Amino acid sequence: MTVNPILLEVFKNRFASIAEEMGVTLMRTAFSPNIKERRDFSCALFDAAGEMIAQAAHIPVHLGSMPLSVKAAIASVRMGEGDMTALNDPFKGGTHLPDITLAAPVFHEGLVFFVANRAHHADVGGMAAGSMPLSRSLFQEGIIIPPLKLVEKWRVRRSLMGFFLGNVRTPAEREGDFTAQIMANMTGVRRMKALIDEYGLAPASAYAAALMDYAEKVMRATIEKIPDGTYDFEDVMDDDGLGSPPVPVRVSLAIEGSDVTADFSASGDQVQGCVNAVRSIAVSAALYVFRSLVRENIPTNAGCLRPIRVITRKGSIVDAAFPAAVAGGNVETSQRIVDVILGALSQALPDVVPAASQGTMNNIAVGGVDPRRQTPFAYYETLAGGMGASASGPGESAIHSHMTNTLNTPAEALEYAYPLMVTACGVRRNTGGKGAHCGGDGLVREMKLLSDAEITVISDRRRRGPYGLHGGGPGVPGRNAVVENGTVREAPGKFHAALRAGDVVRIETPGGGGFGTPE
Amino acid sequence: MDTGGTFTDLIFQDAGKWRVHKLPSTSRNPAEAVLAGLEAIDPGGRRHIVHGSTVATNALLERKGVKTALVTNERFTDLIVIGRQNRTRIYDLTYRRPPCLVPDDLRFGLPGRILADGTEHEPFDDAAARRITREIGAMGVESVAVCLLFSFVNSDHEDKMGRVLSALGLPVSLSHDILPEFREFERTAATVINAYVSPRMARYISHLLDNLNPGETLRVMQSNGGGISADAAMAEPVRTILSGPAGGVAGACAVGAAAGFPKLITFDMGGTSTDVSLIDGEPALTTESVISGYPLKVPMIDIHTVGAGGGSMARADAGGSLKVGPESAGADPGPICYGRGERITVTDANLFLGRLIPDHFLGGTMPLHPDRLGPRFEKGARELGLDPVEFAEGVLTVANASMARAIRVISVERGADPRAYTLFSFGGAGGLHAADLARQLHIPRVLIPRNPGILSAMGMLMADVIKDYSQTVMIQADDIDADGLQALFRPMAERGKADLAAEGVGADQMVMERFLDMRYEGQSYEIMTPFQADFRQAFHRRHETLYGYRKSGPAQIVTIRLRARGVPEKPAFERPEPGGTTPEDKAFLGERDVIIDGRRTKAAVFNRDGLRPGNRIEGPAVVVEYSATLFLPGFTSTETDEFGNLLIHIRTPETDGA
Repeated sequence: MTVNPILLEVFKNRFASIAEEMGVTLMRTAFSPNIKERRDFSCALFDAAGEMIAQAAHIPVHLGSMPLSVKAAIASVRMGEGDMTALNDPFKGGTHLPDITLAAPVFHEGLVFFVANRAHHADVGGMAAGSMPLSRSLFQEGIIIPPLKLVEKWRVRRSLMGFFLGNVRTPAEREGDFTAQIMANMTGVRRMKALIDEYGLAPASAYAAALMDYAEKVMRATIEKIPDGTYDFEDVMDDDGLGSPPVPVRVSLAIEGSDVTADFSASGDQVQGCVNAVRSIAVSAALYVFRSLVRENIPTNAGCLRPIRVITRKGSIVDAAFPAAVAGGNVETSQRIVDVILGALSQALPDVVPAASQGTMNNIAVGGVDPRRQTPFAYYETLAGGMGASASGPGESAIHSHMTNTLNTPAEALEYAYPLMVTACGVRRNTGGKGAHCGGDGLVREMKLLSDAEITVISDRRRRGPYGLHGGGPGVPGRNAVVENGTVREAPGKFHAALRAGDVVRIETPGGGGFGTPE
Repeated sequence: MDTGGTFTDLIFQDAGKWRVHKLPSTSRNPAEAVLAGLEAIDPGGRRHIVHGSTVATNALLERKGVKTALVTNERFTDLIVIGRQNRTRIYDLTYRRPPCLVPDDLRFGLPGRILADGTEHEPFDDAAARRITREIGAMGVESVAVCLLFSFVNSDHEDKMGRVLSALGLPVSLSHDILPEFREFERTAATVINAYVSPRMARYISHLLDNLNPGETLRVMQSNGGGISADAAMAEPVRTILSGPAGGVAGACAVGAAAGFPKLITFDMGGTSTDVSLIDGEPALTTESVISGYPLKVPMIDIHTVGAGGGSMARADAGGSLKVGPESAGADPGPICYGRGERITVTDANLFLGRLIPDHFLGGTMPLHPDRLGPRFEKGARELGLDPVEFAEGVLTVANASMARAIRVISVERGADPRAYTLFSFGGAGGLHAADLARQLHIPRVLIPRNPGILSAMGMLMADVIKDYSQTVMIQADDIDADGLQALFRPMAERGKADLAAEGVGADQMVMERFLDMRYEGQSYEIMTPFQADFRQAFHRRHETLYGYRKSGPAQIVTIRLRARGVPEKPAFERPEPGGTTPEDKAFLGERDVIIDGRRTKAAVFNRDGLRPGNRIEGPAVVVEYSATLFLPGFTSTETDEFGNLLIHIRTPETDGA
């Protein structure tokens, strides 16, 4: 079939709007703050083989891993009409346990497409409230869901749901989130069927494939413009949260014509603590960086990945082996992987690539019992920081960068929902790296506990600031502190603490790197 | 009267007499054209004027408001900068936010804190308030915004700060007056925008008032589709940001209701963009608008905009896909057929396919250059491996696809079935696309109003007086009954009645409409439902319509809303003299070739001014009028209704098959 450029554009629009509408349903009806206020979710469409056709632009860290989840679901579960497969196992298509993926087939005289969504649940059990613990193994991080049929013929399998809910701290909220995920998929299935009815199955399938070719073509045209060569870069994670030395993340980036090979083999070995990343995160990071170089508004799909080859070494920090602890790999190590790819690329594209952004998501989880209602609560949030400066200007301040784009929880929403009080929220002045263009400043957020609670913080760039480029200085590293009975105590980058009512947690996030020699 | 970018439109009505006047806008000082127009249309008498003003809009969009200070809680002064900490383009490595309306040195932190339950955690600091006031006074500020945490529960600290600031003699916007709802960034943004534009608006309105005759009144159109007094508009200009587009929707509402079609999808296709909205007897409202990078949570008519219009440019992208828009040729250089443009636009494609008629464009006052199209269409088509006709039809198909997507967003995605609606098309370029679009979306008919060029001004004339009030209450739905809610609404209703009385609305013309913003406990997005005795059930039903399911879990009432509506007596629409089924000869301008689905076909051409009520036209046909051209494909039959509107019946693919 010849590809008609008009229908190509029409299908591009239609697929994108289906994925977006799934996202709207999910966001508006979900219960986890991570999903509803912070939009920590992704929705995507796939062909019958599990190749991604389109993904709504939500959270980049899910880019490379969504297709793996759907392929894992296809490989493990035989899905009929009205069935849906859930999974979160990081070693079978997931990334970390709070991210639960739900995939649903679309039938039209046979299985023809899949829709799927992934959402970050506020708690999936495990050793710490919020399920982002300083763990030593996957088994401490929460309930592991291998690909299993959660919905059968449009009905939730109550026994499985009951088993799952029995293993989490806030079951009512979890069930609400699952309902939202199911409805998002139903929206997707309905709209995909309407599209097939309107245009016919053969054109819909053909244009799904054509859109992958199209994205590949644009991606290759973009890569072609990068000077050929091999570019190496190295950076580190501060530690694994359990006292390890800095963990190196290294890339050797080879550009050859329109092909890219990103080789992470020389990165450090996997660690005991929770900052191990599974391989799909490295793939997501690479895809994010090269997708960001594209000027056209292309669909993010399987075609984008075809020119990019990612090499990892099993057992390393970027390709951890079961049963490594991975809670923080998705949120922290993912940012460092982006940093090293960009660092390597800056040698080839000095005018395009910015200095390092904050390079952490500053995860904070608080859990306890709300004295107002005598019910357990689990609160989780990530905090913005500085963006790196570039040849075109200074870095933006107090904003999320690269692999995440989640919203903050308004102080007023947070105080209605949890026994917490926000006591400061501001730009952390003069923390951007110096340079001809200065890096963006970090953020200060301070919270007072109104009841006894346990808190977990997973943050990085507390020792070494985000790098500057071409003579620009590094951003100021972040800093964490706890105020107990009026006494300020510096806290490490990754810590867990049982605190009392009246105690205050203060998180200061890193500034972005500067660009160019300061005048 | 409606101030647009190009023209200022006035429509005048007195005892059944209608008069219309159009004159060029004076963008530097819009009041000049407005006053000249008022003088021209009817200088005498005691006129009641309703005005759609873009003064607040432009001050915000062009960042030409006044030097504004902001007072927040101590250690929260950067909130307005940080916003929700996200970026609007995730694949932009050098993303920058638009510059903040209030610079760093004009934001001040005040000690003191109110908690979620309204209790005072830390007292108001009078000395600090005075110090801040002195500093603001020394900085040449023209307007001040105050937004403190939980002021919508307990406004004590904001009120006190406002009183201290009053010594400066500057306009002060307090957040609990502007938007008494939770979520501090959104409330701060609305308050700051109000403060930023209010002196500009006040100067403009005062100037107009100074030039009116004694006893005349001036009302300003708000974004919610209703008018408010000049005084209210000067105090809360944030409510007028979408004044102009709201006029069009209000006009559509009035015309549709008179014609017997209260359920409409409005379709306003202009040069660079297209606005669509949904009307179900009343325009759908939203509190989730974003303008100039800021959320604006005051109720506005829910208008969805896409970057596709007559001037949108077509191009082949790097992957070989045909893209149309969002870049627009604008007025300069304009489309190829205007004589100077080089890039193919939607207008050019319409001309190429014979749907636009060169002799009748803008009443024949603007010559078009069809001869410039051929070589450029051939070249554009070659790049994509198409023939020129396929290419031209493709440009229209792609433009229609983005407009259809916009319509799906406001209808299908909000639980409304387009098959139950009428497409209401106005705006210069819409008539060339409306029928195709309706067929694609299974919308059974299209209504084209008489005088589409002044619909917005007409809407303002027909609009009710509307005052919106809201209050975040955050109550469990099971903890309150309908009587309890009525008691909560009572102070709002009292205020609404008093405000309407001040606007000159009689007690018998007042309608109080009550709404609840509800959600399931734990959700973050509220659904606005009309308040009724079984308000819990109403919420469950609405949730199911929107999202496909309901829950058994507890629901919350987050915010209560009251809309005080003054319904004045409205002028009746004119009824032109009817004619027969066949248009008169003077309406028939001849035949011409048009291209439909790649085939050349003869189409009759009619002059809209010559059509009379009762006339019928079978497609394919073209109807020309001064500011618009209407293309009626073969699957349409069109009648002129008693008011002179054109009603186009669409034969859908289903009815074709039957």
